[in-house]
Amino acid sequence: MNKSELPEWTDQARSLLDESAQALDATTLSRLNRSRQAALAQRVPRRRAAWLLLPAGLVGACALLLAVGVWHARVPQTAPLASPSATVVSGSTVNVVDMDLIASGDDMEMMQDLDFYAWLDAQDQDDKG
Amino acid sequence: MTHTIALTAPATWTPARVEAENTGERTLDQFLKGVERRALRMAELATNNRDEAQDLVQDAMFGFVRHYAAKPAADWAPLFYRVLDSRLNDWHRRRSVRSRWLQVWTRSDDEDDERDEIAQAPDSNDPGPLLRLAGSEAGQALNAALARLPLRQRQAFLLRVWEGFDVAATASTMRCSEGSVKTHLSRALAALRRQLEDHA
Repeated sequence: MNKSELPEWTDQARSLLDESAQALDATTLSRLNRSRQAALAQRVPRRRAAWLLLPAGLVGACALLLAVGVWHARVPQTAPLASPSATVVSGSTVNVVDMDLIASGDDMEMMQDLDFYAWLDAQDQDDKG
Repeated sequence: MTHTIALTAPATWTPARVEAENTGERTLDQFLKGVERRALRMAELATNNRDEAQDLVQDAMFGFVRHYAAKPAADWAPLFYRVLDSRLNDWHRRRSVRSRWLQVWTRSDDEDDERDEIAQAPDSNDPGPLLRLAGSEAGQALNAALARLPLRQRQAFLLRVWEGFDVAATASTMRCSEGSVKTHLSRALAALRRQLEDHA
C-alpha cells in the first residue's frame, strides 16, 4: 500500500498527531533535551580524550626529558664512589640510593645542593682513606 | 616547484577531522531533535505513561547513538525507529508476562485478527471518521483509539502514516515481512475507523 493508497482521513490523523507532538509541555521538552544531550555526550569524551592525549603526552615527555637533562647536568663528574650499589651512567657514577631519593620527589631541595652532598661524600671517603 | 600534499591517515585526529566530527555531531543532534517529540508520543501511546515513555525514548537515543550514529544520515530515521520499536516490544513483553500473573482472563485485541478483512475495507468515498469530530475532541478520540490498538498494528500505522515510511522501510524497522506490515496496517485502519465512528 503506497502513501497515496492510504485513506484520506489519515491526513487528518497525521495533522492531529503533529499537533499533539507540538503541544508537549516545557518539562517534557526539557527532559527530552537532557536525554538527547546525554546520548550525544557518550560519544564525546572518548574522542576529546584521544585528541587531548597527544599534547598532554608531548608535554609530559618534554618535562621528563628536561628533568633528566637537569639532573644529569648536576651530577658531579668526580671520582667513582665506593658504594656497592653504585651504577655507571654516561661516564659518571651515581648512587642508586640517590636516584631513588631524587625520583621519589620527597625532597627537591636536595637536588639543588647536589654538589654539596657530592663534596661531603668525597670528604668522607678521604677521611676513611 | 611542485608540492606534494601528504594525506593524513584516517585514524589521525586532525583539526579538520575534529571539525568534520563536530559537524556530524550537530547533524546528529538535529536529527534527534527532529524525531524526539514523535518518538515520545509513539512511546506514550504504547505505554500510556509519560515517564515510562521518556525512559524508553532516552534508552532508544542511547542505543541509536551507540550502534548506528556512524551510519549514513539517510539511514538514521529507520534505524532510530528500529531501536525504539525494539524497546517498545521489550516493554510490552515484560508487561505481558507481568499481567499474565495478575489477570486470569484478558481479552486481547489481537483476537480481532480473524475478522473478515473485506467487511473492514474502508470506503474511499467516505470523508472519514475524524471529520465528524471537532477540534480537540478529534485529537482525544484518535489518541484513545490508537492507545487501544495492539502494539504491532499501532506501530505499522504510526510508521506508515505519521513517519511516512514506505512498506519496505516499515518492514525493516519492525523486522517483519512487507506482507505483515500490510496486514497490520489494514487491521489498524479498520479498527481505528470502527472506534472513531463509535466515538462520533
